[in-house]
Amino acid sequence: MSTAMNFGSKSFQPRPPDKGSFPLDHFGECKAFKETFMKCLRESSFDNSKCRLQSKAYLECRMEHQLMTKEPLEKLGFKDLSDPPPRQANEDCQH
Amino acid sequence: MCHPQTCPLVRSILPVNDSYKSIKNGQEIVIKFSVFILLFNLLKFFSCRPFVRAGLWTLAGDPLPAMLLSPLLCHSLRGLWASAPLPPRCLRALHCDARRPLHFLWRRTPLCPHVQSRGVKSRKRPSFEEQQKTRNKTVLTYVVAAGVAMVGLSYAAVPLYRLYCQATGLGGTAVAGHDSDLVANMEPVKERVIKVTFNADTHASMQWNFRPQQTEIFVVPGETALAFYRAKNPTDKPIIGISTYNVVPFDAGQYFNKIQCFCFEEQRLNPHEEVDMPVFFYIDPEFDSDPRMARVDTITLSYTFFEAKEGHNLPLPGYSYN
Repeated sequence: MSTAMNFGSKSFQPRPPDKGSFPLDHFGECKAFKETFMKCLRESSFDNSKCRLQSKAYLECRMEHQLMTKEPLEKLGFKDLSDPPPRQANEDCQH
Repeated sequence: MCHPQTCPLVRSILPVNDSYKSIKNGQEIVIKFSVFILLFNLLKFFSCRPFVRAGLWTLAGDPLPAMLLSPLLCHSLRGLWASAPLPPRCLRALHCDARRPLHFLWRRTPLCPHVQSRGVKSRKRPSFEEQQKTRNKTVLTYVVAAGVAMVGLSYAAVPLYRLYCQATGLGGTAVAGHDSDLVANMEPVKERVIKVTFNADTHASMQWNFRPQQTEIFVVPGETALAFYRAKNPTDKPIIGISTYNVVPFDAGQYFNKIQCFCFEEQRLNPHEEVDMPVFFYIDPEFDSDPRMARVDTITLSYTFFEAKEGHNLPLPGYSYN
């Protein structure tokens, strides 16, 4: 695509990822979390909003096994899923 | 970074598709053009000057043949200016062309108004020569300045072009860097559901089995999402792969931000090994407020794996300018 000589139209410019590349999970340490996540996706007809807890769990697993740099989950967009104060626990159960 | 392919300003001028080569070729073109203009002006200057002005634009505005015919025009105006000494080039031309009856090319009207006043000789002659000299010097100065300006402009073009592209953000290079504050503070736009479909390709000589683990996923802008690909090395030897990605539609690509993925770095798979490759991404919340994206409901993310050869250094996108 980037070598097409079509001067009238735009072409795509790939950008590197913000936090770099995931190291490969050669030993399948987080495979169970991935399976849970995929199962959740299939059940919710591939709606990402319903499976965010599972994706958060997968990323936490990766961080534990040194497959991802440790970062607070808010920086990964899981601000609404981080542990709430006790009085808000009832509202979060409904997500 | 605004790729020259996408920035229409440069693409309209340059024929090459490689970004740096095209800018350098553009510089060469501008330099050559400026040198040509300079030489042309100098030739014009050193040829029969007072007569060239007429000759140059006689023939339907085409300057080059007229320039060659300027000695003939010297001859044509000999009758009008018999008393004035002609420049040496004209004199030489007169000897050669005395017998050529090309009177249809001669200008009938005189060039300078004071040529008709033949009676005034001694008083006006020295001042006219001085005037000519100063005029010639001025023109020479202007011509040299123009030539130098062209050369300078060709060198200034590279950073100016980069600035222009960054300012206008053409070709999907709008946002300069997504910091983690954006990810931490963005609010999902729950009304706008976008389907992201996944595609996996390998190069013809790449023997991995590479496929997505889900065909599509429904996301909203401002929410981070996770997706998986699977790659298997069915051969008996380790293979190192490197991948790149593509997002369709192209305009939506600028809103598609990957936090972490497996692209642009070498990934090694041992024989008969199978791994899961995650992609962690989000769509910028500003996607919803862009009028050009109003009809975009599906974004396709496509990865292609190539085999990485030993000792082969690939330039990483985004780092090339540093």
